[in-house]
Amino acid sequence: MIFHPEDLLVYEYDGSVDRSMPRAVVLPANEDEVSRTLALAYREGVPVAGRGSGTGLSGGALAAPGGIQISFTRMNRILQVDTENRTATIEPGVINLDLDTHVRKFGMRYAPDPSSQKACSLGGNIAENAGGPHCLAYGTTTNHVLGMRVALEDGAMVNLGSGAREIPGYDLRGVFVGSEGTFGIATRITVRLLPLPETVKTFLGVFPDIDSACSAVSAVIGHGIVPAALEMIDALSIRAVQNVTDAGYPEDAGAVLLIELEGLWEEVDEVSREVESALWETGASDVRVAEEDSERERLWLGRKTAFGAFGTIAPNYYLVDGVVPRTRLTQVLRKVSEVSEKYGIIIANVFHAGDGNLHPCMLFDEREPGVKERAMAGAAELMEYCVEMGGSLSGEHGIGLEKKQFMPLVYTERDMDTMKLVRDAFAPANRLNPGKIFPDGESYEPALQRTPTQVDPGMYV
Amino acid sequence: MTSSPAFARNLSSRVGPNAVLAAEGASVDRVAARAVVRPADRQQLSEVIRWATADGVRLYPRGGGVLSSLGNLPAQVDVILDLSGLNRIMDYQPADLTVTTEAGITLAALRRELVQGDKYVPLEAPRPDRATVGGILATGFSGPLRFSYGLPRDWTIGISVAGSDGSEARAGGRVVKNVTGYDLNKLYTGSLGTLGVIVEASFKLAPIQGTWAALAAPFPSISGAVAAAGALISQVYAPQGLQVVSRNIAARLGLDVPGDSGAVALAFISGRPRAASRRLEESARQLEAGGSPGGETLDESAATDLLARLTDLPWREEDLPFLALKVTLPPSNVGSLVAAMELPAGAGLIADPGFGTVHLLWWPPAEVGEPETDATLDLIDSARRNARNLGGAVAVEVCPPRIKAGADVWEGSVGEAELEIMRRIKRNFDPAGIFNPGRFVGRL
Ligand SMILES: Cc1cc2nc3c(=O)[nH]c(=O)nc-3n(C[C@H](O)[C@H](O)[C@H](O)COP(=O)(O)OP(=O)(O)OC[C@H]3O[C@@H](n4cnc5c(N)ncnc54)[C@H](O)[C@@H]3O)c2cc1C
Repeated sequence: MIFHPEDLLVYEYDGSVDRSMPRAVVLPANEDEVSRTLALAYREGVPVAGRGSGTGLSGGALAAPGGIQISFTRMNRILQVDTENRTATIEPGVINLDLDTHVRKFGMRYAPDPSSQKACSLGGNIAENAGGPHCLAYGTTTNHVLGMRVALEDGAMVNLGSGAREIPGYDLRGVFVGSEGTFGIATRITVRLLPLPETVKTFLGVFPDIDSACSAVSAVIGHGIVPAALEMIDALSIRAVQNVTDAGYPEDAGAVLLIELEGLWEEVDEVSREVESALWETGASDVRVAEEDSERERLWLGRKTAFGAFGTIAPNYYLVDGVVPRTRLTQVLRKVSEVSEKYGIIIANVFHAGDGNLHPCMLFDEREPGVKERAMAGAAELMEYCVEMGGSLSGEHGIGLEKKQFMPLVYTERDMDTMKLVRDAFAPANRLNPGKIFPDGESYEPALQRTPTQVDPGMYV
Repeated sequence: MTSSPAFARNLSSRVGPNAVLAAEGASVDRVAARAVVRPADRQQLSEVIRWATADGVRLYPRGGGVLSSLGNLPAQVDVILDLSGLNRIMDYQPADLTVTTEAGITLAALRRELVQGDKYVPLEAPRPDRATVGGILATGFSGPLRFSYGLPRDWTIGISVAGSDGSEARAGGRVVKNVTGYDLNKLYTGSLGTLGVIVEASFKLAPIQGTWAALAAPFPSISGAVAAAGALISQVYAPQGLQVVSRNIAARLGLDVPGDSGAVALAFISGRPRAASRRLEESARQLEAGGSPGGETLDESAATDLLARLTDLPWREEDLPFLALKVTLPPSNVGSLVAAMELPAGAGLIADPGFGTVHLLWWPPAEVGEPETDATLDLIDSARRNARNLGGAVAVEVCPPRIKAGADVWEGSVGEAELEIMRRIKRNFDPAGIFNPGRFVGRL
């Protein structure tokens, strides 16, 4: 257990812009300790937040005022891999990529692959219903979770689902995934694994501008092709990536598309030709194909390090996670550049284009007075626009603290009240992650506002 | 209690006479209904629900009635809510691969519309010309292609449900990826209409590609067939659906079964031509290596026809089985379950070793007569014991009411702690207990 203020500092934030200092952080070693911690906190009326790796981008892991965190870094064992049923049973602190790497030894893989997969935990993935590039073809976390053991707010344990795909009764396991830590704490998780594909082919489509790249996305999907992954990376992001690593992206491109095809070689072969012609027809200046693992990994490396690379442009970022029908991408990206101009904020775009999930990344230096507020105002305008376009606030990062005030853009009071009926069944006292997701409820204004150190904008340590 | 005519008059005065249909002969599991209401639109549906909540009137929503025998015996049926009037397609965007439709549309009508834009929705249903989207969602129905399609929950991206106050609550939306708020799509899908009336749903679609074909490979024994099919389904060239049927089921499907075979493996294959023919060849090879003397290939029309017959088989009104059980369990245990089941004369199995489903269907031979209640309950019990030992659960899908009276459809299939959460959900959503009361797991 951790309770010294200096030690608690690192638990004060996650990947988002919000802050909240926990009273203490408990690091249980097993399910029983999780259950006992919850039971004690329940008796004492202390709110609890689960914490995986703290890579969440919506403030999900932050402790409520006066609350504690339960961190799963010690519960990181892969308990079982069942090759016959193609399942794995793990503890919640297991890192996404560690699971995938482990099961690949058995010719299988864990499909959901958030770009943060080197760091994020399966418990966090379940809470947020994490997605990733390959979720275009294989679905998000919810399509891969078979069963969970869950500790409820009072410490009682319950099994949701089993090793079977179909389970009787209300689909509690389905509604638990994506409940952002408000229903219970997952202490043991069984996931589905997929066999490795026979053939994988990765394409880099190089485009002079965003508009032509967007029309390529529509053309590919319009051809009746659903690739395994279809990602877009804009000019600014290309430059940021190439600053830190050589992913082989042409630095003068307006945008690149990363497209991956998987399947039987006959399928991949046939679809490849259609993808290539769709790219050329929509104005690609170059199309590169990678079949060797090492080449493919290099192309993906750029995509997966982009967010880290933004640090070379500005020290802070705020990521919008809006999702729109994919035919609206061109319009929405035009809006993104309007917003960038209007608020004077640099915005980079690296995102899951195939399923319409944008990630406009507002880059700024929070020591510049007023800039954070401008970034947030721009983000709000973008979210509103996504909803206007028939879309939604978040495709994969969750609502948490930072988007909760925008929920009324999408849902009526009645819709939200209905959602709360489910929370009230799992956690009647609302002790887990209170005040998140819905606009009412606890406020997370930090008790203590620390003044940022005086460093000139542009400099950073 | 008001007699039916007075009850119907009272109802007519509230929702208008056009929406109230004759209740003659209408029933749920042979419990006669006092009235049948067919709302013409959502406004009318909302009024019926408000009245039902105020007066404690029990509503039994119905789509095409194809799967309406599923569920525990109702104690009393006040109103059957016929939802076939809510059948508009609200929004179809082929280029976005999404559709939004009212729930009373039949699967066949929806498919016809989607084909116009070269798309399909990966849902299956018996008698698709009658089965509605709402019924498929409420029952969480899956068919022989569930190995590649998954369950209806996997394709539902948005839903609108009329709750106990008559107003609609929405969750999800029209985008294929969405974590805005709780995923109530999952909760409503498979909830058997016990939380409200599903009015509208949005689905993710898939592009139509290539052709269909099937392979029917006979095997000496059903255990051998399940083992061979299990080995095939884990390969990269696995078919889209793979079912093993016992000899008597194969005969009911109209397949030619060689005299000495005990079962037939049915592989359903689709895709672009080159890939599909490779799947077909490899499947045939693998099944032969597993002990089949060699199968027969069915072309597209024969394959889709067989698929429809197989999906319909347990649900044909004119030939309903005496008993139909569905066992769901981890896929690798399908073989053990099949081996453990002792089947009475006239009973057969449909096993899905890729997904983990086994259907037991029983048509007792005419000379044996109607089976005794006790013997039937014993059979159900033994299926339950076997399923439980293998990490699975049983649902009694088709069963004469006299036997259902003594058998809970899902008995013992949900743990107490889980059931308690389900009870609270039911109470929170439906405090007056008007939506399909008594029919679901734990008599919710
Ligand atoms: C650079 C970068 C790239 C990213 N890319 C993607 C991406 O491609 N796709 C995507 O979906 N997300 C992405 N994310 C967001 C984030 O990584 C995911 O939301 C991830 O699932 C969070 O996991 P975590 O372990 O860090 O969880 P945390 O941030 O620690 O917690 C997230 C939520 O999970 C809850 N929680 C944690 N453990 C449990 C448990 N055992 N039981 C119940 N609740 C629990 C917490 O209370 C909190 O609400 C990215 C983030 C970064 C920083």
